[in-house]
Amino acid sequence: MFKELDPILHTPLRLAIVSLLISVKEAEFTFIKEKTNATAGNLSVQVSKLKEAGYIDVVKQFRDNYPQTICKITPEGLRAFEIYVKNLQSYLNTGN
Amino acid sequence: MSSADSLALIESMINKAKNQFSENGHLYLLWGWVVFICSLGQYLGMRILKIQESYYVWILTWVAVIYMIIYLVKNKKKRRVVTYTDELLGAIWIAFSIVMCLSGFILGQTMGTRFYELLNPIYLTIYGMPTFISGVVLKFRPLKTGAAVCWVLAVLSTFIPVTEHLLLIAIAMVAAWIIPGYLLKQRYNNQAVN
Repeated sequence: MFKELDPILHTPLRLAIVSLLISVKEAEFTFIKEKTNATAGNLSVQVSKLKEAGYIDVVKQFRDNYPQTICKITPEGLRAFEIYVKNLQSYLNTGN
Repeated sequence: MSSADSLALIESMINKAKNQFSENGHLYLLWGWVVFICSLGQYLGMRILKIQESYYVWILTWVAVIYMIIYLVKNKKKRRVVTYTDELLGAIWIAFSIVMCLSGFILGQTMGTRFYELLNPIYLTIYGMPTFISGVVLKFRPLKTGAAVCWVLAVLSTFIPVTEHLLLIAIAMVAAWIIPGYLLKQRYNNQAVN
């Protein structure tokens, strides 16, 4: 039986952000923007959605008078990602 | 987005993160050159210039420590991403510094003025450990080779006079930190270009 894929993760940019963040301890907004090739506005919206879902932690701070946004995956986000990949595999195993 | 698309996206993002080298070789070069200059300086001072106090050249390491602290603080501010590899390697090099200080202290306490007979063979052995682990973690063969050279020199040091030990330290620095340091710098710069 197929389980529904997590709608929070099942969009290209949000999935890209989470996939990037599971591989590192933490990353700055500009780094994620560069790696995902997203626009700042779109990335900002998707980061907020992931934060609201509790999948990532977002820390806004100032460094040398410049604003900086640091993103980090949460245990909940990691769990959601694992479930997403598991469900994805069940789809792939049946050739979908 | 199909399942295959999702999987391809996940794979591509993980690879992008995985290929992120934050190691630019700067501290390998700093310490490689400092220890090389100090060991060779002391050796030449003692053997050729016959200056007994030539060990004062090691004061240079304190200047290097101050520079390293400033560099690390500045670098931390500039860093846009922290990988688990960065965290692990940081811990390994901190442990290495502590082991170096403690072994020097213990040798001094237990062997008195004869501490010098064991100091460099033990230091050569210790140099190899973080260098080898870094080589494995960074998947960087020159570091693993450098570590092997340190360990071979540590064994060799037991067969040659104590007065020549400093030369082995200088050779170890070239093999373990200076050459890999330049190669790491090259790899880091290539990453910035690509």
